[in-house]
Amino acid sequence: MDWECCWNKETLEPGECPNILADEEGGLLSSKQRRILEKCVDCALFSRDVARSSERGNALAPVLALLNQEYQHQKTQIQSLVSFLDSKTLEIRFLHELGSVLQSSMDLDEVLSVALTAITAGKGFGMNRAFLLLMDREQGLLKGHLAIGPRNIEEASQAWDEIARNDLDLKSLAQNFRLSKITSERAKFRDVLDQLIIPVSNSNHILIRALDSRHPLLVEHAFRNPDVDPDFARLLGVDTFLLMPLVSRNRRVGLIIADNFITHREITNEDLRLLETFTFTVAFAVERAALYERLQVELNRVTEAHDKLKEQQELIVRMEKMALVGRITSSIAHSIRNPLMIIGGFARSILRNTPSTDPKRDFIESIVKEARQLESVLDDILNYSDSLYPTRDFWDANQLIESTLRDMQPVLIERDCQCSFVPNPGLPLVYIDFKQLSYCVKTLIMSDMDGRSGDRISIELKGCDDSVLIVIDNQDRNISSEQLEEMLTPFSATSEMGTGIGMALCRTMLEKQGITLDVKARPQGGILYTMKLSTRKEEQA
Amino acid sequence: MNRILVVDDEANIRILYAEELSEEGYEVATAANTAEAIEKLQEKDFDLAVLDIKLKNESGIDLLQKLVKERHDMPVVLCSAFSCYKDDFSAWLADSYVVKSGDLTELKQEIARVLAKKAQRAKLA
Repeated sequence: MDWECCWNKETLEPGECPNILADEEGGLLSSKQRRILEKCVDCALFSRDVARSSERGNALAPVLALLNQEYQHQKTQIQSLVSFLDSKTLEIRFLHELGSVLQSSMDLDEVLSVALTAITAGKGFGMNRAFLLLMDREQGLLKGHLAIGPRNIEEASQAWDEIARNDLDLKSLAQNFRLSKITSERAKFRDVLDQLIIPVSNSNHILIRALDSRHPLLVEHAFRNPDVDPDFARLLGVDTFLLMPLVSRNRRVGLIIADNFITHREITNEDLRLLETFTFTVAFAVERAALYERLQVELNRVTEAHDKLKEQQELIVRMEKMALVGRITSSIAHSIRNPLMIIGGFARSILRNTPSTDPKRDFIESIVKEARQLESVLDDILNYSDSLYPTRDFWDANQLIESTLRDMQPVLIERDCQCSFVPNPGLPLVYIDFKQLSYCVKTLIMSDMDGRSGDRISIELKGCDDSVLIVIDNQDRNISSEQLEEMLTPFSATSEMGTGIGMALCRTMLEKQGITLDVKARPQGGILYTMKLSTRKEEQA
Repeated sequence: MNRILVVDDEANIRILYAEELSEEGYEVATAANTAEAIEKLQEKDFDLAVLDIKLKNESGIDLLQKLVKERHDMPVVLCSAFSCYKDDFSAWLADSYVVKSGDLTELKQEIARVLAKKAQRAKLA
């Protein structure tokens, strides 16, 4: 019998079998068994050979036909299973990739970018849009946080063209979204996100119900669904959407709304099942990232508190040292004051009863003078002790100057000094230690006169931003920059200030209160002191 | 003649005050501590008291409070080596506060001022 098919040949020449293509492997041409199983069973010529054999009364021919038919059926089923297996392998690979990215990230924005990109990317779940809402536990609200997707067909086709052109994998797409689109997408959907604020107590709202049920929910016919708030349906603008609660360790983290706003592709149960697996990972990652973020905030707070505590400790140690210095200084000064007072007092008493002709009078006068000088030094030392702890409050700068000048009146008269001051009543109150500032003004004026008489000094108050300036101007005082430097150095002698710590003490007092003192000796003569007093209560310098 | 009680634990200061204030025309009595001061006050009336704040193991402020309570008509001048007590609320009970100095001019001026004020009050009453 002449066979139409080449099944009975042991080996074939290339091109002899129409079912073996030129680029197929050569093994098929030499293996009769492989050829029959892989090619002949699908070959029309072979089927005709079997039919002709049956017509000619071959008893085994119908059995062969039956076996061939069954073989083909089994083969189709295997192919279908292989295809199913392939798709599952892809799914698992995708979920694994997603899981790896989500599990390795501690950054909330990165997690959200990956999650939303996975939902909307063609290489992911392929939904058109996704909205993410997060729980605000303090306010008891479920609030719109982020969204992704096109708002119209033009935008959709443009975005999808771009994605197709770049052919990026999911990770790169998410990275791209996070780096360049997260802000613009949030702004684009701002109107919708702002309206997606639902109190958790509103258990009738479809979103809260989905969240409470902890299972994904496919909402269909939203515009006429009695369970869906019409305003909410109008806000989304789609009839069918998917709600995916994000729940981690029984804690409600948030919810994702996904829809096919542009393509209107049907959302299947398969989509639902796949997304359910995915949302568990997302919820866990979101919660972990949020906790990490909170942890970072707490950590920063603890670090700040630690730094502040350290600063405070250092300050306390410094203050204790200063207090000790202050106490010692004060104690020594007071121990000296009583004997000094007795020496000075008795010397004065003796001086009063000593005739002017008595040669000892000069000696007694010297004792009185030196005792007075030493008392003045003691005052400075005690003032220094006081300067360590300024007590600040709000005071009127006019009152400060008027009161200080009143105290100085006898000295000013004695020195024939014309000290002019015109109050400036419109000024704000200044935050100062009144006593110390009064001492400083007094010391500046005294230092300014430097034992001379007949000086003309003017004092002026000026408002300047958040401060008030005290400007003391003596045009009669001529001083070189070297002398000025000497004047501001502690313990350099001047005629009035004894050991000369007065000016340096002023500096310390003012620095402690954060007040700047600017001293300028004019080249053409005269000296100008400017103190800048703050009108605001700030931390002590 | 106005009678003044000086309370100070330093003997030389008591002598100095007594001499200087007597020269000003006051009758001066002195006490070294609170108990002595109270004893003197029980013996006779005084027009004014000059108190030191730091007495040996005692506080002049405590004595001041006692005097204000029991002898509210007798003015008190605090005289101390500690200028910081000027800002102490308790020291504000005194009619005047003077920082100790070998130059007693300020103390004398304050005593005269306080006594004049007392006399004026008595005249009005």
